[in-house]
Amino acid sequence: MTETPALPVSATGPQRTHPTTVLVHVFRSVPVIVGVGVVVIAQSGGAVLSGLPVGRAVLFGALLLIAVAALVGIGGYLSWSRRFYHFDEAGDLRVDSGVITRTQRRLALSRLQSVDVTQPLLARLVGMAEIRVEVAGTGDSRVVLQYLTLTEAQRLRDEVLARAAGLRPDVGTAPQNVLVSVPTGDLGLSLLLSSTTLVGVLATAAIVALAVLTEGAVGLLGLLVTGGVPIFSAFGQFVRFFGFTVAESPDGLRLRSGLTSTQAQTVPPGRVHAIEYEQPLLWRYKDWVRVQLTVAGAASEENQQGAGTTGVLLPVAPREVAEAVVDRVLPGLAVADLEWTPAPARARLRAPIQWRLLATAADGRVFAARRGRLVRRLALVPHARTQSVHLTQGPWQRRLGLASVRLDIAPGPIDVRALHQDADAARSQADAQALRAKAARSSAGPDRWMSRPRTDAGLDGVS
Amino acid sequence: MSAVDRVFAPPSEPWRRVSPRLTSARRLVLVVTLTLVTVLVVAALTLPSLGGDEALIPTWIPAAVAAVGLVVGAWGWWLVGRRVRSYGYCERADDLLVTSGIMFRRLVIVPYGRMQLVDVTAGPLDRAFGITTVQLHTAAATSDAAIPGLPPDEAAALRDRLAAIGEQRSAGL
Repeated sequence: MTETPALPVSATGPQRTHPTTVLVHVFRSVPVIVGVGVVVIAQSGGAVLSGLPVGRAVLFGALLLIAVAALVGIGGYLSWSRRFYHFDEAGDLRVDSGVITRTQRRLALSRLQSVDVTQPLLARLVGMAEIRVEVAGTGDSRVVLQYLTLTEAQRLRDEVLARAAGLRPDVGTAPQNVLVSVPTGDLGLSLLLSSTTLVGVLATAAIVALAVLTEGAVGLLGLLVTGGVPIFSAFGQFVRFFGFTVAESPDGLRLRSGLTSTQAQTVPPGRVHAIEYEQPLLWRYKDWVRVQLTVAGAASEENQQGAGTTGVLLPVAPREVAEAVVDRVLPGLAVADLEWTPAPARARLRAPIQWRLLATAADGRVFAARRGRLVRRLALVPHARTQSVHLTQGPWQRRLGLASVRLDIAPGPIDVRALHQDADAARSQADAQALRAKAARSSAGPDRWMSRPRTDAGLDGVS
Repeated sequence: MSAVDRVFAPPSEPWRRVSPRLTSARRLVLVVTLTLVTVLVVAALTLPSLGGDEALIPTWIPAAVAAVGLVVGAWGWWLVGRRVRSYGYCERADDLLVTSGIMFRRLVIVPYGRMQLVDVTAGPLDRAFGITTVQLHTAAATSDAAIPGLPPDEAAALRDRLAAIGEQRSAGL
């Protein structure tokens, strides 16, 4: 690692987030308070309110709501007034927080994995944004600052990226070059054709058929589930992936999307640990694919929530477009030239549906594994990202002389499994992969990516 | 050597096995838990019948439960022995191999350069039996390369060797 010259410390010293934060937190808690109130009233069978005139009851409820909201506000104010962020002498981001127990967190920006600026709906209405900075590390290695004005959040993101890259902190926003925008029509259609929707439609049809045949209406209640879940899931994805754009800049990849709340994720060069193409059954005739990515630190528990990174590089795109984008993310993979080793024909006794699709390949740069029948998956992992290798064999596999290989990579949406390969081949594959992983580490780029020679600038060359 | 053994064989030297004291520790846990559960269930089934002349619950039910407990215990006793014997590890020039399992066999290969930290843990029961667990962590949560049942000296030596090699070869992320 090269020695980084001392970078100027923040001119302003420790800073607080924007005061509006407190208000946003209070407003965000209102539905929760009301919800709890309704549940309490319902639980008591309305006994809490009995004997009160309606006007009184409403007034009482409103006062209670205001009181609880005020408490939330006081708590929010205390926590807000004791939360500071600044850049220290070493150029790392420091966040001090905590009302009673003080916590100091220091993020080593040389290990930056991604920076997200997101605007949850409520914050967006008042022009606020939150920024989350992820560095590599096991456990809790991120910092979320809520809320800053959108301009301040973007400025902070630029500063984090500049410092992480080894540039002066005040270089401003790096120029970007849009690679793909996902058309709204394609997104909508792709979600209608997705597997969840398909399963929902089939299940709905089955229930209707059953209800008609048995003349029982009870089964129709199931429609709420079979019809509701796919609609809910598809709608959620539509809102989240609306207006999805992938752009590249010297800072790395920029992913932006969102209809109600918006997110903008920046992944610096060389932080991508794995890529996976995913193709549900009905996308096949359009030859559309979804591309997922794993970035160290952006762990999956966050994906369940509304904001934050989703592990999706492209929600839907024609295959050639997706491949072009992946080529920018992991340059020079030559996936088309990989020599695939399919699973032996006896694997159909273990995996009757997907055995034809099972295959694995590896070249000097990347390990690849293909699986799935209804949803086809193709995962790619650069050797430098392989953390460890698992070889497993169940009793039935042993009878058939099969074994599976799994690569352990940073936590994320991608599972890399070469299933049901010939047992001896799988063992040699596992051994060979451990050696490849070891050999690949030396060629990894520097952490401060702008400090590498200009000729080897990777993403720089194309912007 | 059968084909199965070949697939899960170490490359050159044989597996280093873990201490048989792990078997004793695990058997103790097995026996204590199983005895407790069986006694509680049998008691719950017999107590209601004690006071009256007429048995509320036929006596063959608690007897059957006790018998099942005995059979499960015997089976577990045998299984624990086999499972502990299946653990093994092997230090190669560039990586550490850990194997385990009988029905579902597993082999984990961790390149030294990917190790982030090495944990050595020993609970009260482990200490009583003089065994420790060495666990390797990488940046992947799924790596899960744990070697249970090492004698403390061996564990400490292994940890120091791994730490030294890891230091030399650390590749970051």
